[in-house]
Amino acid sequence: MTLRVGIDFGTSNSGVAAYDGRSVHLLPVDPHSAMPGVIKTILYITRDQRPYVGQEAVELYYRQNVNRLRRFVKKWAGEIDVRGSDMHYVHDVYTFVDELSPGRLLQYIKTALRSPGYQGTQIFDRYYTLGEIITLYLHELKRRAEDLLHEKIGGVVLGRPVQFHSDPELDRRAEETLRQAALEAGFAQVSFELEPVAAALDYEQGLARPQTSMIFDFGGGTLDITIMRLGDPAHRQVYASRGLGIAGSDFDRAIIEKRLLTHFGLGRASLSPELQELVHAVADWSALPDLSTPPVRLRLEKAILESGAPARLKALQALIFNDLAFSFYNAVETAKINLSSQGVAVIGLKEKDLDLWELYTRRQFETDIMEHRQAVEQLVLEAVAAAGLEPPQVDAVVKTGGSSNIPAFGALLEGLFGAERVRSSDAFSSVTAGLAIRAMQG
Amino acid sequence: MLTPEKIEEWLKEAEERPGSAVLLIRYIANRLNELSARNEELLADNIALRLGRKVEEYESRIANLEYQLDLLKRQAAAPGGAPGQAAGPAQAPAQASWVVVLYTPQGQLLKAGLPAVLEEGAAAQLPGPIDPQAPPGLLLVGEHEELLLIYDSGRSLTLPAASLPTAQPLDWGRASLFEPRGIEALAAVVPVGRMALADFAIQASRRGCLKKLPESFFESCVAKDFVGSGVKLPADQTFGLSLCGKADQMVLVSQGGFVAAASVERLPFTIEEALRLATNDHLVAAFPLAGRDTLLFVTNNGKAVQRDASWLDPGLSAKSAGQALLTAARRGAGMRMVGAAAVTPEDWGLALLSDGSLNLYRLGDLLARGALLPADSSLEVVAFSVMA
Repeated sequence: MTLRVGIDFGTSNSGVAAYDGRSVHLLPVDPHSAMPGVIKTILYITRDQRPYVGQEAVELYYRQNVNRLRRFVKKWAGEIDVRGSDMHYVHDVYTFVDELSPGRLLQYIKTALRSPGYQGTQIFDRYYTLGEIITLYLHELKRRAEDLLHEKIGGVVLGRPVQFHSDPELDRRAEETLRQAALEAGFAQVSFELEPVAAALDYEQGLARPQTSMIFDFGGGTLDITIMRLGDPAHRQVYASRGLGIAGSDFDRAIIEKRLLTHFGLGRASLSPELQELVHAVADWSALPDLSTPPVRLRLEKAILESGAPARLKALQALIFNDLAFSFYNAVETAKINLSSQGVAVIGLKEKDLDLWELYTRRQFETDIMEHRQAVEQLVLEAVAAAGLEPPQVDAVVKTGGSSNIPAFGALLEGLFGAERVRSSDAFSSVTAGLAIRAMQG
Repeated sequence: MLTPEKIEEWLKEAEERPGSAVLLIRYIANRLNELSARNEELLADNIALRLGRKVEEYESRIANLEYQLDLLKRQAAAPGGAPGQAAGPAQAPAQASWVVVLYTPQGQLLKAGLPAVLEEGAAAQLPGPIDPQAPPGLLLVGEHEELLLIYDSGRSLTLPAASLPTAQPLDWGRASLFEPRGIEALAAVVPVGRMALADFAIQASRRGCLKKLPESFFESCVAKDFVGSGVKLPADQTFGLSLCGKADQMVLVSQGGFVAAASVERLPFTIEEALRLATNDHLVAAFPLAGRDTLLFVTNNGKAVQRDASWLDPGLSAKSAGQALLTAARRGAGMRMVGAAAVTPEDWGLALLSDGSLNLYRLGDLLARGALLPADSSLEVVAFSVMA
């Protein structure tokens, strides 16, 4: 019989599990991590095109990049035809390339599936399509899982959000890209299950009698809600599913925009609009690495000498040019996670020319994400209404995913359904476990 | 950054969740502690500025740099002087004034003067005995040399050798202190006066890794007081730094007697392992050939082993175990390397012995004798350095 596993390919974290009919085995695919059963969805490709994933990728990235040497060369990138009514000329386009860059770090890969405009990226001398990037990651997960199981894996059930995209055609295309990537990675059979349904299957293992449950799967990239009848495998029924493109990364962005940009000069009247724009880019994790070019360095150096905020601009320069972006976003995420268990956390980063210290409270955080909280509340009520139910008719609300640990959302659910009906499952592995159960059931 | 609105928000958090108050106080107290230490440093700088000490220090440094420049101009004009061999010895060492600099990981620096005309034999005496497992760093430099102090955190600072007071007698109690911050240690002190004439700076780690920096970049690192640690494994540590030309070869020598050579041009800009060492081995010397064709290796039992530069095997791949200079039997008998350098017979060398004595050697004579110590000596050589 072909061995089939479940893989949760998440926005921030992923996991692989196998089910033997009695219990789920979450595979320790990331031995470098503090939680080996959960692997960061991070890929680092070195200049010699070697891929590294998870914690190993993070550590190698830090080792090779932080405070490293750079050498920019101007390279011809192509030409643009400019046509007017009475003229036509060709304009050469140049780009600055860091010749000494040792590798490229890719994170939030799954989010790219939601962006129809994202086709792929050039990494040194090779162009990778989005599918190829995902293939590299899944291939490494498969290899590690096979090493642990001492057996070839033939099939996989992959989790997918309720919706990648609100446009059905783009949603289908995203799923197809993921399917092709899994096939390319060496899985002979590939099928999908909705992530909240997978979490429900895991939750169902502990049920003694049937009940109507709402799965509240709130991860790094999306919020997925499914209301279904559980407890009797012969009569499982999905009443309604809803999805929303809000999750952990949006909260990080809100924290940066509302609390941290002042550390880099925002609000200083002496800063030119170009510099203000540069400061605003700090909130965008994908834009920051692209800013490390000689013209930006020159502009910043000039401003450090001339403007009224030299220390803050020096901090901005360090953040951009010392490859501290990844450490910075990690510091924000860590503080956010800490606020789930305590009322106060520090967002701190101390490096050369950069001494960031922001005391941040849970109350401030809840204010900063108020808009998102309202959107989540609306989605929950929509899902209940679409299921043809009233909140009291939902027997249990099961929280899963890292963002479901945020107290504001726990309080929201308790307010709507009653504290006694809100339950937590394993935030990082319940979807993986459910996918493994689905894989076994065929 | 600390606005009244922010403080108000903290207070509201404490009112809403009294348990947060303790954490708020703890975080603020830790930060205050950090900032007050920083404030003290800044106040000290401010006082030095107001008293003009900083100005004097910079003036003296400029004067020293002008002197170095003048010296270099004369060297470059001399026949055979080439910019790529910038790390070479002064043309007439006996006429220049030389000093001995000793340093410890705790940031203590001791300077001893040497006579204008050098003579073989005991030059100075440190209180002994010296632990051969943890000897102080040893350097023989011109008195107008510019020194770069490198801490294992990658932080660096420059100071003119002339600014160090001469200790008489040599005693660690009289040492100048350039205290490491936090848990860092002073890893190396290297001369950088000829920096402008070099093509590259090569940083070496104790575990045999090398990092290449172009001169212009190195200069800006020095100016920013951060040259990097040059290590990529947590168990490794910064070892030293050498200035060299484009066509130069870097030579690495380990305590276990393994030697490797690497072409500077071919070295990558990232940190790469150039000599694969056994777990209990580490580097004792890393230096450029700089056009010299004689290699001198000094062992702990006082042997001076000579090899031609042509003995080096440039064909050995990176990450190899290197060429073995000591046989396994000698290694087993406790023999190990304490220093090595590319030399000419006109150079002078300085050895620190286990009883604390610092002995000067004319290398031409030393190479002919083949030993630093008499055959019946019970002393051990713990460190060796040649004129930089």
